[in-house]
Amino acid sequence: MELKHHEIEELLGVYALDAVSAEEADLVEIHLRECPRCRAEVADHREVAASLAHVGSSAPPGVWSRIAGSLEEVPPQLDMARVVSMRGRTPRRSVPLRAAAAMVAAAAAVIALLSVQVSHLDGRTDQLASALRKQGIDQAVQSALFDNTARRVDLRSDDGVTFAKAVVRDNGEAYLVGNNLPKLPEDQTYQLWAVTGGQTVSVGVLGSDPGVSAFKVSGQNVSLLALTAEQAGGVATSTKTPIVRGLLPVA
Amino acid sequence: MSIALQDTSDSSLVMAIARYREDALAEAYRRHAGAVFALARRVLADLTTAEEVVQEVFLRLWNQPDKFDPDRGSLRSYLLAQTHGRSVDLLRSDTSRRRREEREARQTAEAGYDLEYEVWDLTVADKVKEVVAGLPTAERRAIELAYFGGHTYREVATLLGEPEGTVKSRIRAGLQRMRSALKTSELTDSDTTWN
Repeated sequence: MELKHHEIEELLGVYALDAVSAEEADLVEIHLRECPRCRAEVADHREVAASLAHVGSSAPPGVWSRIAGSLEEVPPQLDMARVVSMRGRTPRRSVPLRAAAAMVAAAAAVIALLSVQVSHLDGRTDQLASALRKQGIDQAVQSALFDNTARRVDLRSDDGVTFAKAVVRDNGEAYLVGNNLPKLPEDQTYQLWAVTGGQTVSVGVLGSDPGVSAFKVSGQNVSLLALTAEQAGGVATSTKTPIVRGLLPVA
Repeated sequence: MSIALQDTSDSSLVMAIARYREDALAEAYRRHAGAVFALARRVLADLTTAEEVVQEVFLRLWNQPDKFDPDRGSLRSYLLAQTHGRSVDLLRSDTSRRRREEREARQTAEAGYDLEYEVWDLTVADKVKEVVAGLPTAERRAIELAYFGGHTYREVATLLGEPEGTVKSRIRAGLQRMRSALKTSELTDSDTTWN
């Protein structure tokens, strides 16, 4: 069965309330994949439905302890983060960073080698980052750039040429603008590292040709960002010298 | 990490959950579990099953945080959509049929039972109550039966003795009318609804 657009539209309200048959739900969902306008309408309907259930009541007692107990059975995965390039659906464009007054101090004490185990990052972080992309990553970047409390840093190579820029917000949300990075061979990837609290952790595997990428750091504690070129898929521990790096101004 | 979770946005919270931060899931639970539980309890009319749904919904968020798509709405609406879908599935399953019949028998016995009552019962914000009260009765009733009653629109049509197309249109129009009214007061903003 195939429905015309206006027939699907008529189903959007009842679909959002789970008041359709399974067959109709399938038809709507197939349509939603291709129709942003209808997706937006369903999202609106669900927000309205959520407001109906808006409560001041408390969570059920005892349930959280059962949930927390179940979490212990979930082993943390140590897979490296996948590509979080923000290209693809949005047109590639350079995102100009605002002129940063207080930028990188002398990079004298920069580490040369990165050799600390990766924290618990894995592909699902990047799947979420991918979802964030769809809601307009450029807007998120620009919002960060206009955040007066955010720290900005140029990531430079040893010869002083700037290849990438980054902005880090107090809440840990961060973005890398790497449009000027040279493209690596397909079997290699850029990997982003953060030095925080004396430890070096991987904060993203960016692919061979990163554009704008979102990542997460421990907010005010991160003191340095660095990019290395690694084998595709990334590594848990790097022995490479950073291609570019930059010290963040003190928070 | 040392991010102040209480101050972070829902989207960032889910990012932290994706990094296996249990405290982030606890914060999401603190913000939204009350609403999740209330909705499940309302639809299922069963405390134990509602608690199971709460557990299921938050474990799903933990195991599949990438399923939350910020492009499709707030975390609260996502969790409540999950809650509603799961509750309706249970309600429509064979094992729940008898429970549902009993529940409907109880509801029928209650005089003047309509969406306004449901909303009041859920201690919804005053503005929402006002908006619901402003809906045409036919739209309110159709939304009530579909959302809180867990009925399909065909069932709603049968219950109300109206054509299926009319019910579909009324539900959609009612939701759009509420959306328009709530938008004015910004009650549907994702990061202002949690408590």
